[in-house]
Formats: sequence, structure tokens, C-alpha cells
Amino acid sequence: MASGLYSQHLRNPKIRIARNLVMGIFLFFFAAVVLFPLVYMLAWSFGPAQETASSSYAIFPKTWTMDSYKHFFASSQYSVKWLWNSFVVAAATVVSNVIFASMAGYAFAKVRFKGSTFLFFLILMAMMIPYQVTQVPLYILFVNKFKMTNTFTALILPGCVTSYNIFLSKQFFAGIPTSLIENAKVEGATQFRIFRSIILPLSKTVLAVMAINTFMGNWNTFFWPFLVTSKESMYTIQVGLKTFKFANGTLLSPMMAGATISALPMFVLFFSLQKYFLEGVTIGAVKG
Amino acid sequence: MKKKFLALLLCLCMVLGLAACGGDSKQPDSTPDTPKQDAPAPAEDDKTDAPAEPAAEEDTIVIMTPPVTGDYTDLLAGWIADFQKDYPHLKVEVIATAWDDHNSKLSTMALSGEAPDIAEVSSGTIGTFVEMGVAVNVADYLPEGALSDYDQNALDYMTLDNTLYGLPLYLTIQALGGNKQMLLDAGVDVEKVQANGWTYDEFLKAIEAGTKDGTYGFVFANAGVTTSDFVNIFGVSAGITSHFTKDLKYAYTSENMKNLLTSVETMVASGWMPNYAVEAGQRLVMLETGDAMITGKAMPLFENNVKKNNAGIATGEAVEGSIEVEYAFLPVPAMENVAESCYGTVDGMIMLRNNNSTDEHMKNVALFLNYICSGKPVAETVNQILLSCVCQSGRDAQAGADLGQDPSNAAASTRCIGLVQAPPTGITGEQSANATTIMNEVIVPKFQALLAGETTAQAMYDEVCSKATELFGADGCEMGFIK
Amino acid sequence: MKSKAPTLRDRRFRITLEDLNGWAFIAVAMVIFIIMTIYPVASAVITSFQNYKPFGSEWVQFDNYKTALTNDLFYKSIRNTAVYTLITVPLSLVIAFAVAVMILPFQRKTQSVFKSLYYIPAVASGVAMSVVWLWLYDSSPSGLFNQILTFFHLPTLNWLNSSKTAMLSLILMSLLSGQGSSIIIYIAALMGIDNTYFEAAELDGATFFQKLRYIVIPLCKPTTLFLLVTGIINSFQVFMNAYMMTGGGPDNNTTMIGLLIFNNAFVYRKYGLACAQAIMLAIVIAALTAVQFKVAGDDVEY
Repeated sequence: MASGLYSQHLRNPKIRIARNLVMGIFLFFFAAVVLFPLVYMLAWSFGPAQETASSSYAIFPKTWTMDSYKHFFASSQYSVKWLWNSFVVAAATVVSNVIFASMAGYAFAKVRFKGSTFLFFLILMAMMIPYQVTQVPLYILFVNKFKMTNTFTALILPGCVTSYNIFLSKQFFAGIPTSLIENAKVEGATQFRIFRSIILPLSKTVLAVMAINTFMGNWNTFFWPFLVTSKESMYTIQVGLKTFKFANGTLLSPMMAGATISALPMFVLFFSLQKYFLEGVTIGAVKG
Repeated sequence: MKKKFLALLLCLCMVLGLAACGGDSKQPDSTPDTPKQDAPAPAEDDKTDAPAEPAAEEDTIVIMTPPVTGDYTDLLAGWIADFQKDYPHLKVEVIATAWDDHNSKLSTMALSGEAPDIAEVSSGTIGTFVEMGVAVNVADYLPEGALSDYDQNALDYMTLDNTLYGLPLYLTIQALGGNKQMLLDAGVDVEKVQANGWTYDEFLKAIEAGTKDGTYGFVFANAGVTTSDFVNIFGVSAGITSHFTKDLKYAYTSENMKNLLTSVETMVASGWMPNYAVEAGQRLVMLETGDAMITGKAMPLFENNVKKNNAGIATGEAVEGSIEVEYAFLPVPAMENVAESCYGTVDGMIMLRNNNSTDEHMKNVALFLNYICSGKPVAETVNQILLSCVCQSGRDAQAGADLGQDPSNAAASTRCIGLVQAPPTGITGEQSANATTIMNEVIVPKFQALLAGETTAQAMYDEVCSKATELFGADGCEMGFIK
Repeated sequence: MKSKAPTLRDRRFRITLEDLNGWAFIAVAMVIFIIMTIYPVASAVITSFQNYKPFGSEWVQFDNYKTALTNDLFYKSIRNTAVYTLITVPLSLVIAFAVAVMILPFQRKTQSVFKSLYYIPAVASGVAMSVVWLWLYDSSPSGLFNQILTFFHLPTLNWLNSSKTAMLSLILMSLLSGQGSSIIIYIAALMGIDNTYFEAAELDGATFFQKLRYIVIPLCKPTTLFLLVTGIINSFQVFMNAYMMTGGGPDNNTTMIGLLIFNNAFVYRKYGLACAQAIMLAIVIAALTAVQFKVAGDDVEY
């Protein structure tokens, strides 16, 4: 299982154990540092739903209550709907990215077709334009031309195939040996079949990374949903949280509770997709 | 494994399907909207064919506003219902925003030609909408005589280059607030200051006396973008009441500015003020916990916050470590040779042009605009923030309402409102936009450095002058002393 | 792209099966791409030559570009962004790579625990994390970092509110927040390396660092390039941290180009200028990316 990068120290297992112990301790220590803000967020989400002076901020609140969570669900009849809306938008975006971005990525990596260099160059270039300036033309398109204010379509469509994901999958597929594909072709497989039966199974890790990143990006996005929704019932969770003043710095606990609630589905998704990260990439084995 | 992955994909596909269904089920919800939005267009066509009865034309007015008061959206719904009793053919759609993001959404909508018909703005930002070509001369569309209801002083704030772009909601004053008992202990005659104002030297003595272990004499929220509050409020203290002087020269290049910056240098060095940056949310908390004697920026309405906190001490709902505080609203001190004044700004509703705008539509919009900016609606709004209305009908509706405000605070607040000086008339949109640029690109950033003790008053003053000369020309800047 | 088509005529006239396959595979992505990206970008390019007004823009040729290029703040923001990028991107890569390498020798279960631990911080929303970090950096003596300094008898700092430490604070926050994704991508790459390479090296008596130097680093190059390119692009467009934490201050020392563009577009409402700045930024990033591909591209196949 473990990579051959590390010597197994077969003659002296103690060295191996000591080495792993040192690295393990370091990894745990560093993880603790990295996780600290999150622990703080979680702890304070159970703090009292009242204003707090920064001078009395401790790492943990003195009293623990669920008040802030109650406050969140009582703040609007749509609280749960916001979570649902966010989920729908993020899930739909993930599905279309995983399918269409990976297809495009595969074509750019392994199919030699006319215009591929130019089109891929265009996609790369597009990533370099800051999103701030594309919001206004997009807004004109969706609100003025399509009349799509307050629709799921308007929330989903702009992110449904991103340049980043095409680039990510292209880079990944490029690493898969071309001989694998050539062999399959010789056996008469179509490109679609090769993609589905050979490429996708090898790419679970990258697809899972893509899925999680895309879900997270959409789940946390604020500005675009804020622009194209004006009805409470169509808000996403991020818009709802901000509009209802959970973002007030002095009301620490309700703010942290809101953040915890909005992060929760991400954890669930991460842990359910996690095993795909561990599949490893078995290209080497197949090649042999 | 492959199967599992496919199964997962399928699951997600189902979600997508659900989403589509969800979208469909929303469809009936949103369809009534679409004809609404389209309504003005056919209405326009009808009009060109035959001038039908204008009163019968259905029309939708879109208003976008942040929560001016805590429950402004709810109040608005009530007023709209009242409004529709008189004008059943006019529908009003409300877009509720959050304070933080109101401006960026408004900008996007305006840039797209889809601005709401009415939007809440602070008077200082009108210039950019004028420059953009979306602001509308309200006077052209308001009902006859409607303007005579409003105070000229407040209307001046909504005016640029002699054109009125909106109606005022209220004139808010920003000054200082203090813990009355601590002030008395520090030897300050609070009632006298509230009634007659004070000098800068008296103020300095007070905050010196008020600084004891654990308590700062003066805490002003100045972290990050709140820096501009300090400039505005103490600018008045130094005699700069507007970006421009009476003869329309840029004011932040004057001697007064140099005095202001020097005074800040002194205050920061003295230790009577924290030597670190205070977050906006913390100033009131520090007042409530007795960590600050005087705080800023402060508004009269803080009296309510403090009272609420006092009441919460027993029930455990107050800020941790709170003490009983009696809130005193205080005027800003006046520096030498400067007539006392107070920083005021008008928040109001402006009218904007969009793709739906026809003359008839604008008249309807103006009708509603006038309705929410006067009479009962504005009185209800303003009562909640302990101010008084800037229109006669509003004051009439306010009369007799008991706000439960401390009489000396009420008197101090009224006195300060009287001291506010409206900006000079005739400022152009371009001048206003340039002033905003200097404020954002030079004054605020440099002021942050000054507060952090990283630049000197003189160096900052020189920077402001050089940028101002570049934008306004040497003739456009006031270099002398403003009386 | 490696093999050139035999003649020009062939290239122009013969549509191969591969062409059809390729076009079919990218069809959906391209349609979306054209509507959602090409159209707005083209629109932004046009706007950059206008004094944009929703009703009747005026053509001003290169005025917006001239304004941008003569504005000190524009240069300052580019410098800030460059400093931020030059420090955060390489350091992030090193951290992510080191952590990934250290996670590698553990059992699968342990690996997954570490991966999760490192990934989790990335999932919390930026706004909420900003609030936590604001508290960590609180300038008062009760801020956590200041308490740590006090504990070691060091003078407290004005963190985000001093020109000296504001940028440093943002960099530190960035390094400690979002490495999760890079770590996981690196681990995937590491596990993809064929064990036979290591076995051969072992026979030659290669040390751990030699294996790292001559096998792992070269084989991870496509991954590194991907993370480098996207890291630089993201870093050049970074906006949220300065917007939430410092508002660009103090003294514009943390005004990043992304924040400046946002402010011009949505706060100062100079949309044409914002577009011009964005396009210049895109050109700078494109040039940097081209250099990266050139440098890395010699021995990596794309």
C-alpha cells in the first residue's frame, strides 16, 4: 500500500516506527493550527445569542446553549428553503460539471481534433478575466434578455461548466497513458466507450475533487445569487445569512451558528465522497 | 467501485431532476411577475395609439432598500397596502437588501439599465448616479406643490448642480456619545455641554481626566473603512462642513484640514485614546462595559441601545460585563476660531431611470416616492431612530409621539440638527465624484496610517493637496482658512 | 498538437472521425462557454473603450487605459498583488507538497484521517472564517495573537491596522487556510507514481531525498504546473480577504488589484475603467501563464 518512496527499513522496523511517529505528531500539530478557526466557529455557535465584547472573547464560550440555532430557524419562514435552494443549485452544478467539463477535458487531452489548441487557449484565457467585470454583462443577459430573475436556471447556468474544471480534468487525463486508449481503439471501441469504460473509472479521484470543489464554490458563492434573487423564497443560504444580519460582528454566536449550518452539508458531502480520494490512481498497474 | 460511482452519479442526476421540478413548481410563482415587468411596455404602446385614461393604466413600481430601521420591510408592506387603497392600479415590488451589499447590487442593476425605480441612498453618493446618467430630476414628475412640504436644507442635500434627484427621508447627525456619570466624575458639566457645546481644549481635558486604569477617555471606531467617519465628524470640528466651500472650492486642502490632522496626531500620541484600531461593533460595547467614557461615532438613537442593554443586565441578555450606563449625546467640540457645527448627512430615496421608464411611469413612481418620504410613513421611520422629520407633514404626524427619549439628549440632538450646514448649492456631479475619489484613494488610506502613527500630519496634508490640485486644479482648491 | 498534419490542404478539407468525436465531446461545454464566458468577456472588452453609461455610452478610445496607467493606486495595487502572489503561491505549494509527502507512508485509514483534517478548513464559508480571523488579529490586547505575544513578553501588534503587518497578516491567513485541495490533488498524483521507479532507485541505493528529487518532483510536474497556474490566477484575482478584513487599508497597503476593480465597478461606478483594468490584468496573467508553460513545458507533455 504505502508508496515505495519511503524505505520500509525492513531490517530495523523501529526506525520506521519512529519516523512515522515524528511525522504523525507534526501532521497532527499542524492540523490543529489549521483547524483552530473552525473549532472556534463551532464552539461559539453554541454561545449565548447576545452581543459580546471582544475583550471577553475566549476560545470557548462560558455558557453553552442552542439559542443561536433556534434564532436562525426562527428568523425567517424560509430558513430551511434557503438550505434547499443552495443544495439544489450546488448539486445541479456539480452534476453538469462532472459530466460536461470532464468530457471536454478528455477531448482536449486525448482526442486530436481541429481547433482544439485554439479553443483550449481560449478557455485558459477566459480564466484570467476577473469575474467582477463579467457580472454586469451576465446580469444584463439574464435579467434583461432572458427575464430569469428568481429562477433556478439563473442560479445554475453561469457555473454549469467552468473553465477551471475543464483545465483540471484536462491536466489529469493528460497523465493517462495514450497507449491505453490506442489499444482500446484497435479493439474497436468508440471514443465515448473508451471515455466511459476506461477513463472515468481511472479518474474517480479527480472527479471527486472536482465535485467537491464545485459544490463548495457554489455553496459559498454570494454575489451572483444576491444579484439575481429578490424574493426571500429564492435566496440561497449565503444570501439569506447576510441579508438577515447574521453577519453582524458583535452578534458572534448567531453568526457562527449560521456559518456552521452553512458548512454542515459540505462536511457531509466531503465524508461521503472521501473514499474516492483513497481509491488511488491505478494507472501503473493497468499499464503493466 | 465503478457501479458505486455510477450510482452516485445517478443520485446526483435525480437531484438535478428534482431541481428541475423545483424550478418548474416555482414557475407559477414567477409567471405573475413577468407580465408585471412587461406591463409598462404595452402600456406605452396603448398610449401612442390613443391617450387613454392614465389613472386606469396598471403599473409596477420597484423600490430597493436596506433595513433603514430594523423592521423597515414590514413597515413598508403596511404603507404599500395603504397606498394601494388610493391607487389600486399601482403595484409596488420591494427588493430588500442588506446594508453591506446594497450599493453593489444597486450599481449592477443601474449599470445594466435595470435599476429599481426608487433606491435608498446616502446623499453623498448621488453624484455617481448622475455621472452614470441614470438619476432623474424628481421635480419634473412630482405632483404640484409636493416640494413645499420639505425643508429646503434637506432638499439641498439631494441636489446637485441645481437639480433635485430624490427626496430626503431624514437628516441624521453623527457626533459623540458618553457615559454621563463618568463624565461628571471627570469634571464635565454634561448639561452645559449639551446645551452650549464645548471647545476642543475642554474636550481634551475631559478625555485626559476620564482615562484611568482600564478605561479610555475616548474611543472612536476607526478600524478599516470606518476611518471616514472620523474625518467627517472631526472635520466639522475643524470647520470643514462639506467637501466644498461656499464658493465651490475643494475644502480638504484648507488650513483647517492641517489643524484637524495635527489634532489627531496629538490625540493618538497622548494615550487618551486606544493606540490600536477599534472595530465598529466594539465602540458601543466598550461604552456599555465602562471601558470607554466618550465614544464615537454616536447617534441619538444609541440611547435606545444603551437602555436596552441596561434592562438586559438583570436578565442576562446584556453584553457580558455590562454596567448601568446613562447615555449622553454630545456635540463635537469646536476648534479655535471655528463656529460650532455638527456633521449631518441626509439619507433619502432617489429616482432612477431604467429600461421601463416612460413619462407616465415616472409620474407614478414620483407619486409613491413622495408618499413614503412624507407624512405617516416617514414619521414612523424617523421615530424609531430618535430623529425629527425634515418635512412638515412628517413633523405633524410625529407630534405627540412619546419616544421615551431623555429630555436633555432630545434637546442636544435638536440643537445639533440646527447646527448642521447643508452643502453649498451648485456642486456638479463631476466635482462630487472627484471628491469621492480623493476621499477613497487618499484621505481614508492616509488617515489610517496617521492613526497608526506611520505618517505625519504634514505629509498627509501634502498628499491630499497634490491629488486635489491634480483633479480640481489649483484654482479649484481652498488653501486658506475656512471660517 | 505534437504531430503536424501532412499538408495544408488535408488539414483544411478533411474532417476526420477524431474531429467529429472531439467536437461532440466539447459541444455542450462550448455552448455554455460561449454564452457564459465569451459573451461577457467580449462585452467587457468593448466597455473598456467606453465611458460606460447604461443609456448611451460614449466611445473614449484608450482613455480608460490611460487613466489606469497614470494612476498611482493602480501600480500600488499591482505591486501589492505581486508581493502577495510571490509569497503565498510558492509557499502554499511547498506546504501542500510537504504535507502530502508526509501523509503518504501511513496506513490507508490514517491517511484518510489526515486528508479530512486538512481539507475541512476549506469548506467553511469565507465570510465566517473572516470573522474568526478578524478576532484572531484583533488589535486590542485581548486579540488572540496579541495574547500570544504578551505571553512571550513581546509588544502587541496592530496587525491588520498597521501598514507594516497588514499584508503579512493576510499572507499568514492564506497560508493557514486553504491548502486542503492542493494536498489532496498532490496525494492523488503521488499515489499515481509507479512503484517500479522506486524499486529501481532502491536497487541503485538512492536515498529518500534522491528519490524525491529525481523521481517524485519530475513526475508531479503536471500537477505542480496545474496548481501553480491556477494558484497564480486565483491569487491575482484575490478580492475577498482584503474586502472583508482590511478594506484595502491601511494606506492602501492591502489594496489588491481585484479589490480595486471591484471598487471601480461597484463602488465608484466607473465601469469602463474597471473593465480596462481587468483586461490589463488578464494580459499580465496570460503572459505569466505563458512563461510557466514555456518553462515547464519542455519535458511535460500537454
